[in-house]
Amino acid sequence: MNSRRVGVERIFSWSALDEKTRVGIIVSVFLLVAISPAVGQSIETGWDIAESGVDSNLNAAAVHGNETWVFGDGGVMLSSSDEGMTWSAMNSDTTADLISADSAYDSMAVLDSTGSVLMKQGLDADWTNIGSPGEGMVDLVLIGQNSLILVGVDGAIWRYSASNWQEIETQFTENLNDISFLDENNGIACGENGTLLFTTNGGISWNYREAPTGSSDSNLISVGYYNPYRLYAASSDGQILSSTTTSAQNWNLVEIESEGYNTSLDENLKSIEVVSASIILFAGPDNYLGVSLDGGNIVEHNIIPDGINTSFNDHAMIDYQKGIVVGNQGVILLTDSSGKNDLVGFEIPDYGNFGEFSEYADDMMLDGFKATVKIVGFGILFGFLIGVILAMFKTAPTNLKGLVEGRPNGIVRTLGGGLAAVGLYLFWEGVSGFSELGLDGIEYIFTPVGDPRGFAMFGLGIALTLLGLLFLSNNGKFSKIEIGRVTLNPWKIRPLNSIATLYTDFFRNTPLIVQFMFIHFGLSLGMEIQDAYESVFGDMGVDGFDYWLLGESAFISAIFTLGLNSGAYQCETIRGAIAAIPSGQMEAGRSIGLTYMGTMKLVIMPQAIRICIPPIGNEMVNLVLNSSLAMVIGYAELSRQGRLIIAVTFQIFWAWGMVMISYFVVTWTLALLLRRLEEKTKIPGLGISGGA
Amino acid sequence: MSEVVLSIRDLEKTYPGGVQAVRGVSFDVHQGESVAIIGSSGSGKSTVLRCINRLIEPTGGVIELGGTQINTPRANVNEIRSRIGMVFQSFELFAHLKVLENVTLGLRHVRGMSKSEADKVAMEVLERVDLLERVDAYPGNLSGGQKQRVAIARALAMKPEVILFDEPTSALDPELIGSVLKTIRGLADEGLTMIIVTHEINFARDVADRIVYLDKGLVAEEGPSSIINNPKTERMQRFLASMNEEH
Repeated sequence: MNSRRVGVERIFSWSALDEKTRVGIIVSVFLLVAISPAVGQSIETGWDIAESGVDSNLNAAAVHGNETWVFGDGGVMLSSSDEGMTWSAMNSDTTADLISADSAYDSMAVLDSTGSVLMKQGLDADWTNIGSPGEGMVDLVLIGQNSLILVGVDGAIWRYSASNWQEIETQFTENLNDISFLDENNGIACGENGTLLFTTNGGISWNYREAPTGSSDSNLISVGYYNPYRLYAASSDGQILSSTTTSAQNWNLVEIESEGYNTSLDENLKSIEVVSASIILFAGPDNYLGVSLDGGNIVEHNIIPDGINTSFNDHAMIDYQKGIVVGNQGVILLTDSSGKNDLVGFEIPDYGNFGEFSEYADDMMLDGFKATVKIVGFGILFGFLIGVILAMFKTAPTNLKGLVEGRPNGIVRTLGGGLAAVGLYLFWEGVSGFSELGLDGIEYIFTPVGDPRGFAMFGLGIALTLLGLLFLSNNGKFSKIEIGRVTLNPWKIRPLNSIATLYTDFFRNTPLIVQFMFIHFGLSLGMEIQDAYESVFGDMGVDGFDYWLLGESAFISAIFTLGLNSGAYQCETIRGAIAAIPSGQMEAGRSIGLTYMGTMKLVIMPQAIRICIPPIGNEMVNLVLNSSLAMVIGYAELSRQGRLIIAVTFQIFWAWGMVMISYFVVTWTLALLLRRLEEKTKIPGLGISGGA
Repeated sequence: MSEVVLSIRDLEKTYPGGVQAVRGVSFDVHQGESVAIIGSSGSGKSTVLRCINRLIEPTGGVIELGGTQINTPRANVNEIRSRIGMVFQSFELFAHLKVLENVTLGLRHVRGMSKSEADKVAMEVLERVDLLERVDAYPGNLSGGQKQRVAIARALAMKPEVILFDEPTSALDPELIGSVLKTIRGLADEGLTMIIVTHEINFARDVADRIVYLDKGLVAEEGPSSIINNPKTERMQRFLASMNEEH
């Protein structure tokens, strides 16, 4: 077709642009190139080397009062009283390898490879050997000044209390690796094959906790119990598990954003140290140290000081910044910045040149561009689908009278009685839970989040009760109710319309950015869908279509949020277009025997959609622009990539400029496509002509 | 006399709000008969017509099609409508479909015909209304008279037992009325059963076998087309006089 070629020429041809546009483009490019560079920075290690004076492998470290202790092979014990700067060897009663240590309740205990435990029961107390429950113990934890728990191979758990060793019988036989306690009662142990055991009674009995999908075979090497809502565990091959539910009921596998949303650090781990609700330190063989400030989402790979090549075994933190890490061959490193790489401010020329900058930024921008197009594409499809469905709901003429009419009154009344009974039950069940929320007066508007299930029952209960009472009153006359001067006819209520109105009102009266956060973080929708998919189809792996589509939970949440939100707006547009179709069209369709839905599908919608292409186009452009808000849930679309590029290059003008141009390209292309679509689908005599 | 196709007994329609548009209308339509309903604006003509294929739900009375009551809540309204054709004053062609597709829509989606079968039937009826050369046009490119003939073809294609014409020429320019009237007259001559609501008194006299004159929701006078020449009631006399003044 001739017109198509003309269209393509107009889109891509420089000569077809008018003079203003050309000048605008030239000026923009000039500005982009001419702006001078800002300051760059370099990165150094955040760890310092401390002289240990020994070359044994150091396996464990603990902070005991003002002293920091380190334990190693051959019974080596070192102590420092200046926060790890200088170390002195301490006398040790044993020559066995010391493999694990813990300090709490002013006591300190250390485990050797034969299973014997040495204990300092008090800050100034001497070491005493409290004996051994047997070989094969690997970790210990203090649960009181004079009581502790050991874990070891084949699921062995021993409890030392009141000078007695007691073996805890459990049905669990996997090798256990690590144990951590929050207080005297609540504790967690981890081990091979995704084993997670939880106790609430000081280790006397243990319950199994399901490992998250994807880590049921993992060797969980280390666990940290920071507070009742923050537990982290790590597997030997780099997975990070987290639990934010009380009693560690549910565990999730962290999608590590800095690893491209992979669920593994791609490093072997030996130990994790949870120093705050969100700061975690990682240590591993192969010279690996890492730190995350946000619960494992972004894990920074620590730079290791020159000359160190070891396998790191254990941390001991004095506070959340100061601490030490120990490793093989007598290595002790200390930090006062949680190990974070130091940013040293001096100018580096790298990104000052636009060529260098764009070389770095191009790839990231392209990734962001693809990510934006991906959510926008799916968002538009999803939003349009929802919009069409809601618009059909809103225009559906079926009312309660229509549902009941033609059925015998007796049956309707019986049904009404049943509905009212169910409704009253649900209402009562829902309301009875509200008092436990401890709300007062106006605070009751928050019941939907305080008790979602109760609120749903409450709402459904009211609706069903009223519906049931209405049906009960049915005498075939469908008369209206008059209260004073107000008359209303409940039979005229259109249930589908009511549902759709509730939906659109909700989504149009709350901010999109909050919807993003609520859906992604609050409902964990993306993760729920991933879990559901994996529980049906198995692990989706890291390549293939399913991973492309569902691999990122933020992506799923983003398309749902955008689609649900845009659908609410598109619904109104489409509803308007349906209303613009003359009512005679519906009559004509019905008069040849088509059903209501058939007429909607074959007659009304094809015309309505054509009419609403321009306003829907606006809505879609809005959706593209709104998609930038997906950055708040960590989806790596254009805006977020812009921020990341700035974080590395500090070229704010270039980065945001590039982001802006990229958005313009997306929306402009979309607008042109829609204009073409409008021209192509134009029908003589339908709608206002000359609209393009 | 031939058998009764459509029988209307004591038809009543009260609109929400209390307007009594139809207050007990009764008449029969026999096989092959064409009945013209005339009357002034607001006399209930269109309401009666729309009640017959239940685009409007009557509030009282009985409508029987082929001996079966069709205005019960349980009756399959879509099946009934497919047996009753309707031609609207403002054509109501489907603007997004070509002429041929307008005619085949019901055949394919209600009668379940294949595209080729439906096309064949549609071409036959389009030939009857003399529109074969415009099958690929969109309604927007047709003249008013052509549009109305497409609408007639659309109704005819379903092979209805009775066709309802709702003022089929009222929206047409005077010079276009002729072709539509000719088409309808042709159909009447072929023996199609039809009810025509019209303001064209002369056309009603020429085409209709029987005239039903409605006034204020009641049948004021009924009889063979000759009653137009000799109206018995004073009301119908006045009505006819006013119509003649207009023309």
